[in-house]
Amino acid sequence: MPTINESSLIEDNLTNDLHKLQEDEVIVNQQLDQILMRHCHVEAKLQSIRKVLPNVAVVKAETEKFRDMIHHTNILAEKVSAKVRQLDLARSRVCECQSRVNDILDLQLCCEGVATALENEDYEQGAAHVHRFLLMDQQLLEKTADDVSGDHSSVTSSLATLQQAANNLRQVVDQKFDEAVKGEDLASVERFFKIFPLLGMYNEGITKFCSYLAIKLQVTSQKNLKAALDTRITDKRASVIYADTLTLLFEGIARIIEVHQPIIETYYGPGRLLTCAGILQKECDNQVKKIVFEFMKHRAISRKVQLINEHLRKQGVEKLEPKDLDILLSELTLMHARAELYNKFLRRRVFNDIEISTTDEQHRASLKNDFETIMKNSELARSMQELLGAYLALERYFMEESINKAIGMDALDQDQQTSSMIDDTFFIVKKCVKRSISSGSIDGVCAVINMACGLLENELSSQLKSRLRQGYPAGYLDLAQAYNALQTSFQHGRIQTSDTELARLMFLAYLNNAETSIEYVETLSRNLKIDIEQAFPNMQTKEKGKIESCLAGMKNVTFTLRTVVDYGLEQLRSSAIKPRINPWVDSFLTINHEADEEEILRHETDESFVQTLVMNLDGLLQVFKNSLMESNYNALIGILTTEVTIRLEKVIFKSSFNKIGGTILDNEIRALSNYFTSSTSWTVRDKFIRLQQIATILSVDKVEDVTEFCATDSISWRLSSAEVKKILLLRTDFRQEDIKRLKI
Amino acid sequence: MEDYKFLFKVVLVGNAGVGKTCLVRRFTQGLFPPGQGATIGVDFMIKTVEVENEKIKLQIWDTAGQERFRSITQSYYRSAHALILVYDISSQPTFDCLPDWLREIEEYASNKVLRILVGNKIDREDREIPTHVGEDFAQRHGMYFLETSAKEAENVERLFMEIAAELMEQARCKELPRYEQNTTSINGKTTAIGDSNSCGCSRFT
Repeated sequence: MPTINESSLIEDNLTNDLHKLQEDEVIVNQQLDQILMRHCHVEAKLQSIRKVLPNVAVVKAETEKFRDMIHHTNILAEKVSAKVRQLDLARSRVCECQSRVNDILDLQLCCEGVATALENEDYEQGAAHVHRFLLMDQQLLEKTADDVSGDHSSVTSSLATLQQAANNLRQVVDQKFDEAVKGEDLASVERFFKIFPLLGMYNEGITKFCSYLAIKLQVTSQKNLKAALDTRITDKRASVIYADTLTLLFEGIARIIEVHQPIIETYYGPGRLLTCAGILQKECDNQVKKIVFEFMKHRAISRKVQLINEHLRKQGVEKLEPKDLDILLSELTLMHARAELYNKFLRRRVFNDIEISTTDEQHRASLKNDFETIMKNSELARSMQELLGAYLALERYFMEESINKAIGMDALDQDQQTSSMIDDTFFIVKKCVKRSISSGSIDGVCAVINMACGLLENELSSQLKSRLRQGYPAGYLDLAQAYNALQTSFQHGRIQTSDTELARLMFLAYLNNAETSIEYVETLSRNLKIDIEQAFPNMQTKEKGKIESCLAGMKNVTFTLRTVVDYGLEQLRSSAIKPRINPWVDSFLTINHEADEEEILRHETDESFVQTLVMNLDGLLQVFKNSLMESNYNALIGILTTEVTIRLEKVIFKSSFNKIGGTILDNEIRALSNYFTSSTSWTVRDKFIRLQQIATILSVDKVEDVTEFCATDSISWRLSSAEVKKILLLRTDFRQEDIKRLKI
Repeated sequence: MEDYKFLFKVVLVGNAGVGKTCLVRRFTQGLFPPGQGATIGVDFMIKTVEVENEKIKLQIWDTAGQERFRSITQSYYRSAHALILVYDISSQPTFDCLPDWLREIEEYASNKVLRILVGNKIDREDREIPTHVGEDFAQRHGMYFLETSAKEAENVERLFMEIAAELMEQARCKELPRYEQNTTSINGKTTAIGDSNSCGCSRFT
């Protein structure tokens, strides 16, 4: 039986359903109303459609008529256009026919013309006739003649005659050209050169003409070389005579191309320069080989390179004077630079010619590639690579020996902070790299930069370091005395290396040398980058990468030099600073820090501990202030500050204080900190924070006051709570128990 | 800034025609270009590889083998981190020249440089240098040894990847003493880095 609860639940459900049904009914009623409302509208629409209906039938009939009309028109148009096409064809046939008739007429004319022209030795006229003949379609002519009359003997004979005449003419022109070359008859050479293309002999013409030019080139070049060999040593250009000879050769070729390219282009069309350049390059190779051979022989390059190699392996006895190589190095770079220039000129000309001769990209690329292959495999390229190799070997020796010399002749001037070797060394390095830039070879520049980095990192750095390794001689230092010693030793032409003063000055100068070198390397690297970018404006990405990577080697040089500077400063700390300042600071221990006011009054006229310390430090720093460059001097003050503060902290912990003693210390540390801060632009105040905090603790009135400091600014608080307690214990007027009880 | 942790310079040397350029091309571009012309001076390629999740930039200098380029190529020895000395296993003369190359390496390269001997062209049928001969030579001169084929892409990837890994490990071994040098006093003695074996990383086996 359902309970009352359940039945009420059912009742609820039923009520819900009823409500829902009622709502639905309302909605349905509304929808019905809407539909009924639209009835009117639909009726009206139907009415209007009924009215239009008869018109539609009319439209359909009209449309069909129209369609038929279009169809007819279409057929008509096609018929008309077919006729037009026929007409067109007919017209073109007439044209063709006309030209063939012309051809046949011309054929006769040419046939007779050639004969008379040959007789009169008027080769231009003859060639013009042959040229006309060659433009005709011979097979077609024969066929036409056949079709028209069935008798083509006259045409055939004409053709044969012309063929014969063409061959004759070719032979004659060939022969005449050779004769003209032999007879050095420039006018005839040019005359026949222009006839070749008319006879369809493009390649023969170019080859013959360029070979002729090559011979001219050979003659001039040999004359130039002979003149070069006969040049007196006293001549102004004697030192670069081979570079001059090479330059004359390149200029000669450039002139030939400059003069003849327009002629070739006019008579042979564009795209002939590659062949031309190939032929001229062959002769250029021959001449370069001869010039370089004489250069190598007379400048004794192989012997010099051999001497250098022997010297490098420490076998040779004979040594080359680097200065003597200077001019030779210039000549070598000049020769290489000229070849690069020539190469660029030829490439630009040939590539331009290729560009206008064909539009086919692939064909262009293959032609350009042909040119590159010619140049890459040329004797010129080989010779220049050999010259560059010799140049680099000599340049390396020059740089190394000159740097060694600069180091060997090192001198220190009184008013200079660095010794002479630094300026000298960097002058040499700069000179060498700049010279390599003038060679026009990226690989050459990279190699010289690499060598320079190696020399700076090895020769220079090790020289600097070995001097610093000897250390800074301890003992009393009077600078004026040291300079006097230095001066007299120079005047007497002897350097007393045993002289401590001199050794000290040299030590400081070398520390400055190292610091200055870093600056110089950075400047050099920056300037070279600019120079190289100016000298090679069209570098490819790969070449740029090479240069960048090699210049990055300079950065490694600065790293090495930085360690040398650090090493020198460390030497200074251990030999000049530590032993000097320790006794000064230690005198703190001899002072009574528990004095009462009376005693203090009694000693007021005495100098305080800090006054004495500052005076001593000032004296010490005066010694370095003029001799060290600013950055080194600042670094020295940094070291000095560290050493003084550490030592002072140590002695404070060994002393005992009362309130007055603590207050005095507080003032003294403030004074010391001010002294250091005022003597350098670097921030040294930070190094005093611990000491100042120690002094603050030592000057408190009551033990409890300490908690205030520890709590207030904990970020800059540098002392641990154990240290604070240890410091408080130094106050003899405080009780141990109070300190122990302190909660910090 | 480029995104890499280490930069190493690798220089390839050896007689002309032993396949140095092909090895580099195979590794950097995955190509084996036949009929390659002789290299002029030095060529230069970069490839960034990843070893143990660290990006390593390898700067590979491909040198010309011919004698007349020697002045150029020698200048790259000093700053090289690794030197790959290549010979052709099918050509006795290229193997016979190795001592000359070693002499040059001694003369110009840093004594810490990683040296690898590579016998290339193992795809060739006409082998003249047996593997163990190359191996012996490498061992006698304290070099790593590997035989490769640029044509068949054999061991090429491995060659460069192991060089990268080895150099990275060396650099890490060096990092520690260097750091100490900066914090404690500099006593003038440079910390001996020693040869790579001290790092316990002998990879080329």
